[in-house]
Formats: sequence, C-alpha cells, structure tokens
Amino acid sequence: MFGWLISSPSLGLLFLVILFPVFWALFTSVHDYTLIAPNFDTFNGLDNYMKAAGDPEFRHTLRLTAFFVAAVVILEFALGFLIALMLHTVERFKSVYYAILLCPLLMNPVIVGLIWRMFLHPSLGIVNYLLSLVGIEPVNWLGSTKVALWTLVMVDIWHQVSFMIVLLLAGLSALPREPYEAARVDGASIFRSFWHITLPLMWPVIAVTLLIRLIFAVKTYDLIYIMTRGGPGVATDLVSYFIYRTAFVSLNIGEASAMSAILLAVILGLTAWLHRYMRSLT
Amino acid sequence: MIENDHKSQGAAFGMRGIVKRVLPHIILCAFSLMILMPLLWILRVSFTDRLTAYKIPPEIGTVGLMNYVEIFQRYPFASWFLNSLIVALGATAIALPLATALAYAFARFNTGGTFLRLGVLASQMLPPIILVLPLFGMFLMAGLMHSRTGLVIAHLTISLPFLSWMLVSFFEGDVARLEEAARVDGATRWQAFRHIAVPVAAPGILAAGLLGFILSWNEFLFALVLSGPSSQTLPVGLAALETHAGVEIAPLAAATVVSLVPVFALLPFLRKHLIKGLSLGALK
Repeated sequence: MFGWLISSPSLGLLFLVILFPVFWALFTSVHDYTLIAPNFDTFNGLDNYMKAAGDPEFRHTLRLTAFFVAAVVILEFALGFLIALMLHTVERFKSVYYAILLCPLLMNPVIVGLIWRMFLHPSLGIVNYLLSLVGIEPVNWLGSTKVALWTLVMVDIWHQVSFMIVLLLAGLSALPREPYEAARVDGASIFRSFWHITLPLMWPVIAVTLLIRLIFAVKTYDLIYIMTRGGPGVATDLVSYFIYRTAFVSLNIGEASAMSAILLAVILGLTAWLHRYMRSLT
Repeated sequence: MIENDHKSQGAAFGMRGIVKRVLPHIILCAFSLMILMPLLWILRVSFTDRLTAYKIPPEIGTVGLMNYVEIFQRYPFASWFLNSLIVALGATAIALPLATALAYAFARFNTGGTFLRLGVLASQMLPPIILVLPLFGMFLMAGLMHSRTGLVIAHLTISLPFLSWMLVSFFEGDVARLEEAARVDGATRWQAFRHIAVPVAAPGILAAGLLGFILSWNEFLFALVLSGPSSQTLPVGLAALETHAGVEIAPLAAATVVSLVPVFALLPFLRKHLIKGLSLGALK
C-alpha cells in the first residue's frame, strides 16, 4: 500500500507526460491530421500506415538506419573492447587515459556535430589540410553521397566509443582472477584464455552494453540535423530525421505518427530484450 | 649451437616482453590523442581572431578573449545559457523527489511488478521524435508552445524515467536492514523512508540528479520544436548560430567552450556513479 502511495505522484506524472502523449500519437496515426488542418475530424483507419509502408523513401530510411546502427555498434564495440582490454592491462597512466576518454562522453551531440562540421569543411577544414600534408586528395566529407554516411559513423565513434570502453572496462575489472591463474598454470596462451575465459564470462555485460548502445543509436537525430540534414539527397536520412521532416516540413503529422508507431514497436521489442539481459546480470 | 639457440630465444622473449608492455601504451596514446586533439583545437580557435580562425594552413594571429566577449554582445548567448539553466534545473528539481519515491517503492515493495518496471525502462528508451509530435499537438491546444514551462514538461519525459530507473539500486542492500531496525523501534514507514533510506542514499541521489541535469542540458529535439525566440536553449541557439552567417568559426568555438564548462565541471562529482548511470543501473 505504502509503495503505491509514495509512487503515485510520479506514476501520475509519467502517465501524463509519456503514456498520454503516446496514446495521442497512436490516435493521431489513424486520423488525417496535418498542420494545415490540425484536427481529428477525418478518421482514416490504417491509411497512414499503408502509405508509410508503401513509401519507398520510408523503406530507404529504415534500411539506412539499420545499416548505420549496425556499423556504429560493431565498430564502436571492436574499438571499445580493444581499448578496454589495453586499459585493463596497464597500470601506469591508467587514470590519465581514463580521464581523457571521459571527455566526449557527456558532450552535447549538437556541439560534437558543430565542431566536426568545422573540421571537415572541404576547403576551410583542418582535416583535409592535414591529409594534404601526407599527399591525400581533399575529401568531400559531408557533400558526397558515398562518403557522408561513413563520415557520420566516424563522428559517432569519436563521440560514443567511450561509452563502450567505460562499461566493458567495468565488466573486465569485475571478472574473477582464479580462472586466469588456472589457465596460466596449464600453459594456455593469452588468446586462448581470452577466447575461453574472458569472452564467456563477459557475455552478459557485452550483451547489455551492445543493446543499450543499439537502442540509443536508433534514436540518432541531433548529429544528422547539425551535420547533413539527411543529405546530400537522402544519403543520411535516418528514421528520426525522416519522421521530423514528414511532420514539420511536409506538415503531415498523421503519417509521421504512423511511422512513429512503427518505430515505437521496434524500440519496445528491443527494450524487452534488454530487460531480460539486465535481469540475468543482477 | 644449443647455447646460441637459447640466447636467440631469450632475446625473442625479451623483445616480446617489451612489445607486450609497450604496445598497450602506444595504442592508448594514439587513442587519447584522437579524442583530445579536436577539443584542444577548438580551445585554440576560440582564442584567435575571426580571420586567423579561417587560415589554412593555420597561423598564429592575435590571441585574446574577443570571441568570448562577442558571443555575449552580438548574440543572445546569455539568454540561451539562462534558458538552458532554468529548464534543466526546473526539470531536475521536479523529477528528483518524485523519482526517489518511485525508485524506493520499486526497491522495497516491488510496486507494480515487472510490468511497471519494464514500462519505466521503455519510457527511457523512447526516441524523442515519438514524443515530440504529440507534445507539439498538445502544447498547441494548451497554449504551452514557446514557453519554458512547456520545455520543462518535455524534459520531464527524459529525466523522470531515467532517474526512477537509476535510483532503484541505491535503495537495495544494507539500507533495508537499518530501516527494519527503526521500524522495530516504532518508526512509521514514512519515517523510515524519509529519515533513514533517503539520507543513506543521498550521495547517489545527488549524483543521479547531476546526470539528469546534464541530460536536460544536452537535450536538442524538444527544444528545437517546442521553444520560441525567448525560450531558446543553448543547443538550439548554437545550431542557429551556425546558419545565420555561414560558418562563424571563431565565435562558435568560444560558445562551444562556454557550453561545455558546466558538463566538465560536474564530471568529477559524477565519476563514482557514472557507470551505473550509463549502464542504466545494470553495472556498478
């Protein structure tokens, strides 16, 4: 009883600011609600969903998001795990390295986007200048359809790889020592003990880290808005930005809400999966 | 021959030992440089005059604080900063006590069971684009568009679930036994919560509050869609700064440095609880 009593104010507020808006969005998604006629007069059933599912641009955006998320998660994990393992083996300067890698972690994505836009400017940017010193032709980082998405992936790595390092290092530090000593006595190589001890023991931590990062990568919006606005063309048009455009540029809130509902289903599925891993951890 | 073999093996072993000891430092140094260089470069640009800032190859021009003065004189930087501060403080101040109570109920009574917990976790994972559309419609109807109150409400959708989820683990463990002892001595449930659980968890609650503040401070999409000229927050202002006059590198660098100050100033106080915050309570 007491539990419900003290939690009721926050539950009430959560209901008001989250659950109610989500239902509002679902309600909007089955109406012809535009910013030109912002009302619920025309119920149109699943029309918005059908339109979204049939829209080649929306399908392109989903494929692009899946690709971006996979690239970001895999590359950040690979680099992050390498750095975490290195940090785990060194003692000298460990706190210096750690302090440095914490810097980008809580930085505003808007700022990250802005400073990298400056650095990557084709003619005024420092990156192309540095590349020219070693004889590499200037690259059109954000203006070329082939390069832009990979540029965003690289900037995201700079910003978020520390997240992986911090969590994986926490996992590594909590591992028991005995299996490693036993492996050393048996003459196992570093690679064997990594493969047969570290990886299996780390698996729950790895799963939670990857899933959290994955869900957050799906939300990527700020970086796109600042660096490319989905362009050039639709080369970096990730799902959050596409929904934003549908709502506030095409002014079609109803259809944007239908797309949100589809995104919501995906996120809920991923969250349920994450929750299962989290419970196995504690 | 045999001796020679041993020697070369020994040398190889020594070499391998050195490689094993030095290689991690080489990798870590390279990585640290990659992280640090952009930040140092921004710091440098923020102290150069606007023409030097564009010079490729880089030159050393006049050095001074002119960009820092300029962002306050030519742009409403102070107003952006203040709006960000008010909204972040407001949202955190409302969310923190409420989230503390909810987290306590989760930890002690398992209120609502797995279903409710999953709901709170999912709220935290919700992409802001999903919420910003209905909030936009609701604020239009309620007349909350362009107001700081509206922004505080929008930011609650981030800080309330985040804090509720993160604080649960601070009430698990030894605190429960202390509370039971107090209950035996005749304390009410409310007294046990207010006078034992909360003070014991206070350092964690404070650190969580700081993280919640930073989340709000960094928030962009809600502020972009829901704020107006007088309620613009720092990220929205900075994003506009870039498009107003092309790429104004020097003032932008100064503005970047100033808006990073609060985050870097809070970082040392958070470090102990950072892992818990980032892993959503899954790791310590």
